[in-house]
Amino acid sequence: MSPSALSRALASADTVVCVGSGGVGKTTVSAALALRAAVDARSSLVCTIDPAKRLANSLGLEALGNAETPIAPERLAAAGLKAGAPMHAMMLDMKRTWDEFIEQHAPADVREQILKNRFYQSLSSTLAGSQEYIAMEKLWQLRTHRDYELIVLDTPPTAHALDFLDAPNRVLDFLDNEAARWLLTPALAAGKIGLRLVNLGGSYAAKTIARFTGAEMLQQLADFMLAFSGLNEGFRERAHQTRSLMAAPSTAFVLVTGAAPERLDEAVYFHTLLCQHEMHVAALVVNRVHPPVASFDFEAAKQLPAPLKDKVLATLEENALLAAQDLQGIERLREQCAPTPLLEVPRFSVDVHELSGLWRIGTYLHGDVRLER
Amino acid sequence: MAALSDQRLIVVSGKGGVGKSTVAAALALCFSKRGLRTLICEVNTKERASVLLGHPEVGPEIKWLEENLWAVNVRPPEAMREYALMKLKLESIYNAVFENRLVRYFLRFVPSLAELVMLGKILFHLRERNADRPRFDRIVVDAPATGHAITFFSVPQVLLDTVPPGPLARDAEWMRDLLVDPAMTAALLVCLPEEMPVNETIELAHSFERKVGLHVAAVVLNSTVAPRFQEGELARLAAWPSLEQLAKAHAQRAAVAEELGKKLATQLARPLVSVPRLYLPFSRHALEEVARHLSPLWEGS
Repeated sequence: MSPSALSRALASADTVVCVGSGGVGKTTVSAALALRAAVDARSSLVCTIDPAKRLANSLGLEALGNAETPIAPERLAAAGLKAGAPMHAMMLDMKRTWDEFIEQHAPADVREQILKNRFYQSLSSTLAGSQEYIAMEKLWQLRTHRDYELIVLDTPPTAHALDFLDAPNRVLDFLDNEAARWLLTPALAAGKIGLRLVNLGGSYAAKTIARFTGAEMLQQLADFMLAFSGLNEGFRERAHQTRSLMAAPSTAFVLVTGAAPERLDEAVYFHTLLCQHEMHVAALVVNRVHPPVASFDFEAAKQLPAPLKDKVLATLEENALLAAQDLQGIERLREQCAPTPLLEVPRFSVDVHELSGLWRIGTYLHGDVRLER
Repeated sequence: MAALSDQRLIVVSGKGGVGKSTVAAALALCFSKRGLRTLICEVNTKERASVLLGHPEVGPEIKWLEENLWAVNVRPPEAMREYALMKLKLESIYNAVFENRLVRYFLRFVPSLAELVMLGKILFHLRERNADRPRFDRIVVDAPATGHAITFFSVPQVLLDTVPPGPLARDAEWMRDLLVDPAMTAALLVCLPEEMPVNETIELAHSFERKVGLHVAAVVLNSTVAPRFQEGELARLAAWPSLEQLAKAHAQRAAVAEELGKKLATQLARPLVSVPRLYLPFSRHALEEVARHLSPLWEGS
């Protein structure tokens, strides 16, 4: 069978970003792509950020640190596979990546101050968009400092498609804001903290915010921003670089979705946003599709003796119903996401969490096998 | 004893794609049918619950759906405005201050403020009273998925740890106190009978209880498959490989569902309520079917 459109796109890509809403199998698809690359003699890394350690599950590993861990050839051999190049996996520890980032980029005199600041701690762990940003930042780091032929990034389970695409802009906005500069620039020039804030302190607006948040909080925030401001230049540069990595021709997005009707709107919306942002969507992967039921199966079942006949017929009918619902969804996706190629991966009878299962998914992604219709 | 007794705030969460919105909507329907004035809250998302219930999308203002049932999709800008107005009393001040570019920037920088005001709106309605009774007897939150849910419900505690004492900290405190009160708040975790969702549910339950302080009242195992084929029957299908495979897959699914149900029950030691897989297109009728299976939550088992 001819290779799939995704297979052809991957051949010329060095970075793959798997996106989609939670629970659609992004992690398994990401791991399957990295595994396939390694077997096909392209060194690969799959990088996941998922706090539920799903990748560790998928690869049958106990735990992954914030380190690139090789998958032992014996594990592949046990699944009947042979890697032509090494495969690595890692799980991103966001907090650690943020800390490393600060240690690397912040001037020595404010490094500790930032790391200890309560605002930094919440920025690096809980602030919306910070996960997405640091995932991209790590991707950029890996892309520029490592020589994997293929890096697959499994993105965090984003609540909103826009959170992911917007993350670099948001962080930039955060630091590169007119208001922030207005507040901080004179203070920086004077080498003093919160000069403007003192001025602001007397203003009507500041008094009102203080009623809302407390005055001390404003001061602490100003301290944080001042300490952080030395990093702004670096941030701006990196955010621009990350953005250009996302838009590079060698970066391919794979949008993963399920076929169930309640997931479709999200997938279509995400697809529209990716296209608007001029990201290259290599394929739309519809995961866990119920395969159609052949009519001769119904014929055969009718010949069975009762009560087996009724049980088999009931099972066939249930499957046919699910398959019909899925097909309807797939047709809608195909139409609304045209001309992006659409690939179907069937639902397997058990949850995929073994290398052999990942390999099987890969065969559908690469077009070695296709769901028969 | 029943899993859900008199708790008035029910937080429905779980892994993405397990049917949280369906269970949340079905639960709200159950409450309303029992004569409890119920509000279902979605949190800044594409609305599902109201649509599943057979009504149009409701938007950021509380809307009446049917007898004893109201819905709202809580969004940050509107919640922020309501919160600010509550603090500032006067709309003209709000407009003068909060529409100020500089102020808006500051507020965006305050960590997790968006989450705080959304949670604040939900909890405000929990405390809200009409004459001598609560405005709503029950509030069902169709909460975000795992990681986002942990972040969302941790916000009051995170703020208490982050911000200095002041008005914001005082609000974070009463909110935290309501969330960690097991007589007021119960979390209901939705799960599928598949390995990864089950593992994630166990981790989520631990995070809710140990990190967030939310009381996990029960787990709803959604889309379960009851055993259908007996051992000997599979062997009799050997002459029809595709039928045999089909029956085997069914038997395997049923076996996995049973095994994972046991795993959840032993590891979490919480009541487990099963909702069988429905082979129905999405509709009000399908939702009522789901609702019918939730009754062990308050009837006990």
